[in-house]
Amino acid sequence: MFVLDAILSHQNTTSMKTFYNLVLFFISVTALAQNEISGTVLDEKSKPITGANIYIDGSYDGASSDENGKFSFTTTTTGNQTLVISFITYENISVSIDVTNAKNKTYKMRESVNTLDAVIVTAGTFDAGEKARVSVLKPLDIVTTAGAMGDIVSALQTLPGTNTVGEDGRLFVRGGEADETQTFVDGIRVAQPYGATTANVPTRGRFSPFLFSGMSFSTGGYSAEYGEALSSVLLLNTQDEMVEEKTDISLMTVGLGLANTQKWGKNSISFNTAYINLEPYQKLIPQNADWNKPYQSLSGEAVYRYNFENGLFKLYAAFDAAQFDINQESINSANKTRIDLNNNNFYLNASYKANWSNQWQFFTGLSYGFGQNKIGINVDDAQNDEHSSHMKLRLKKSFSDRVKLTFGADYFITKFDESFKENLGDTFAIGYNANIVAAYAETDIFFSKNFAMKLGARLSNNDLLNETVLSPRVSMAYKVSKNGQFSLAYGSFTQAPRQEYLKYADYLSSEKASHYILNYQYNKDRRTFRAEAYFKDYADLVKFDTDSPQFNSNYFNTGEGYAKGLDIFWRDNKSIKNLEYWVSYSYIDTQRDYRNFPTEVTPNFVAKHSLSVVSKWWINKLKSQLSITNSFSTGRPFNNPNEANFMAGRTKGYNNLSLGWSYLLTQQKILYFSATNVLATQNVFGYEYSNTVNANGTFDRREIRPTADQFFFVGFFWTISDNMKDNQLNNL
Amino acid sequence: MKTFIIITTFLVSTMLTAQTQYETGMQKALSLWGEGKATEATALFERIASAEKSNWLPNYYIGMVNTTEAFNPKNKDKVASLIEKAQDAIDQASVISPNNAEIMVLQAMLYTAILVQDPMTNGMKYSGLAMEQYYKAQAIAPNNPRVMFCKAEFEIGGAKWSGADTKPMCAQIAKSIELFATFKTDTPFAPNWGLDRAQEALKGCK
Repeated sequence: MFVLDAILSHQNTTSMKTFYNLVLFFISVTALAQNEISGTVLDEKSKPITGANIYIDGSYDGASSDENGKFSFTTTTTGNQTLVISFITYENISVSIDVTNAKNKTYKMRESVNTLDAVIVTAGTFDAGEKARVSVLKPLDIVTTAGAMGDIVSALQTLPGTNTVGEDGRLFVRGGEADETQTFVDGIRVAQPYGATTANVPTRGRFSPFLFSGMSFSTGGYSAEYGEALSSVLLLNTQDEMVEEKTDISLMTVGLGLANTQKWGKNSISFNTAYINLEPYQKLIPQNADWNKPYQSLSGEAVYRYNFENGLFKLYAAFDAAQFDINQESINSANKTRIDLNNNNFYLNASYKANWSNQWQFFTGLSYGFGQNKIGINVDDAQNDEHSSHMKLRLKKSFSDRVKLTFGADYFITKFDESFKENLGDTFAIGYNANIVAAYAETDIFFSKNFAMKLGARLSNNDLLNETVLSPRVSMAYKVSKNGQFSLAYGSFTQAPRQEYLKYADYLSSEKASHYILNYQYNKDRRTFRAEAYFKDYADLVKFDTDSPQFNSNYFNTGEGYAKGLDIFWRDNKSIKNLEYWVSYSYIDTQRDYRNFPTEVTPNFVAKHSLSVVSKWWINKLKSQLSITNSFSTGRPFNNPNEANFMAGRTKGYNNLSLGWSYLLTQQKILYFSATNVLATQNVFGYEYSNTVNANGTFDRREIRPTADQFFFVGFFWTISDNMKDNQLNNL
Repeated sequence: MKTFIIITTFLVSTMLTAQTQYETGMQKALSLWGEGKATEATALFERIASAEKSNWLPNYYIGMVNTTEAFNPKNKDKVASLIEKAQDAIDQASVISPNNAEIMVLQAMLYTAILVQDPMTNGMKYSGLAMEQYYKAQAIAPNNPRVMFCKAEFEIGGAKWSGADTKPMCAQIAKSIELFATFKTDTPFAPNWGLDRAQEALKGCK
């Protein structure tokens, strides 16, 4: 009423009568409108919450709860109002109340599941990038890991659950073949994720880390959103937004690179091109392989983005043309086999993501991939063309912070043609068309901050194989302590047989695997420990009855196998200042009966024990980052026809110690040196045996060795931007 | 006539009451914050924001209080929630008042708060984002002392790491102090902080 007095004191002309009227009026208004709102704010365990903010939306009326969770205030609002209760790390409450009838009510607040310390379903998955809450790898790691040479795949091989297969270069996950891993860019499948190569010449992933901001690598038990992968999925996400315009220039001993980002209005475009030629390097470093023409490639990638009010359109395109010419040794022929390979690859991926009202999220995308290999094998010519496309639709609805539903559909088209022309002879042609249509649905439920579950299923139909499969997937996580949690996952996975069988035998059915995973993760203050035990059951693997898969072989789905093991991961970014390191250890016991194996054995790409230690040390005085990676694995199986048992031989262990040194000349200029296998360990990946016995009645053999024991690399990386802080440290 | 006066008086008084309620509320909230009672201050700013839906200042201060709290090592356990709360408030403030250089400075400060949580991971991205905000703010309000000072201070932070020359940034800080002297707020409670921090920072330059 002070205000009233104040006003009245200014109004000298007002008569006493009016004054009384006014006072009466106000008293009556106040008397009518003053309502007490009171109650108690409790948490889920009925313990009081102190300091919660309780107020009537759109008014000043409110209070904070006391140490007993109690609050009380009066309001001049009338009728039905919205009472809002907020407290940090808890979900806001918004309730409709009648102000005359809101006394001594009890309100229960639930802990927000959006906090950093909430449980998260982690079984099988390693996440990297800013969107991941528990990030095992950082985007920077891909590139600053010594020995990775900017190859995403090589960096992932330092994680547990993978096997380093030096003569191949692809990802082998938990006893699975390399093609059991599928790669997705922005949720859309990439049919040809690796560069073309030939036997015993390792390949690399096609994608430069330059354009990607996050990734998720799953070694099993993954979401129903992803299909056609028996072992693993690798999800790469291109950057949603470019912060600034810049140009990156790379001068390397193996080639040149140029990248540029432009921004205008709601548009931005980034491109990245590289020309790689290994000739100077191969001249300098002794090669185990006999090259006619060293590897060279021209590649380019571009991402265009357009921001809508509530959506984002992205177009990603990648082109690469590669060629090399090599003379391959074989123990079975006196003359080397000349392989002259030309590969052209084009990939286009368009996606649109939008946030609709009512917590709906819409995503659609389309990809087209074209891969062509022209291979000269001595005087004969082979060519294969693969056209592949993936169309995808996904809808996500958040009913609350706690319940989310995702569903969608996929359509995969693959057209494969291959021809083989004998010199001056006949031409053989073969091919197939496969269409796969699939639908999936998955729900994410948080029962509490400590208990979450993911439940889904995928239904897919392959018209070439004429089959329909339903694959259920379940995973859950339970938090047992402040920093520790358990996750469990089960899933059933299917994948159409690989190209080399499918082109001859469309009567086959899909191969199958079931994953069972138990994971424990402890995460505290930049230190992460995780241990994961798994069991994987393979069924319906393809077998054939000849030395190699041919048009006249008989194919069966009678193969089977298993893999079980333990993966341990420890990462510490805290204990020692400026030093980050991680240690991965994998133990695997796996056997499979597939291909033309006479019995169930451990295949040749599996090492029983693998250990990787990766460390990065920032030396402030030298303005340098020193990185050291050591990878070790025990011997791999090989088949020795001189022995009675199939696949009973074991190579010696594999070891590779790599070093990397990045030196900041200025903030935007970096000099980078790296060397792999500095100890010059003579690694042997396996043996090739002769088909026939020699004079002593035994089979001769030849070692399969790396194309070169060591790799040296020097590069200069220069970034030009307005913001003088940016550099290419994350591309090295 | 009598009724007319009564009604007019009533309307005027309610308006005046509202004005006063806003002023007392803001004063109280600011003094709570001054006493280090961040939760209580946030609560009060939230209530003011709920009543003053077309005024960007209450949300600005919710953002400011929670950003400042996020820098405090004592709040390590709830830093993600503080950042989220600050970001929500900044989003709401910029819906009410788009193209506001003060809000951009605050957004840049929040990006800095995220950056310092894990510089090795967040450094590259969030330093870029923060600089983008400072550039935008500079284009809108080139003579705002906070824009000039905060940008220079942030650049000095980066220079320590890279060993770049901090002289130009120090010159900017000195210039911002001159601008602070002449800076006038257009509305009560509008941001007017930073002079003492700028003076402190300038000492560090020598």
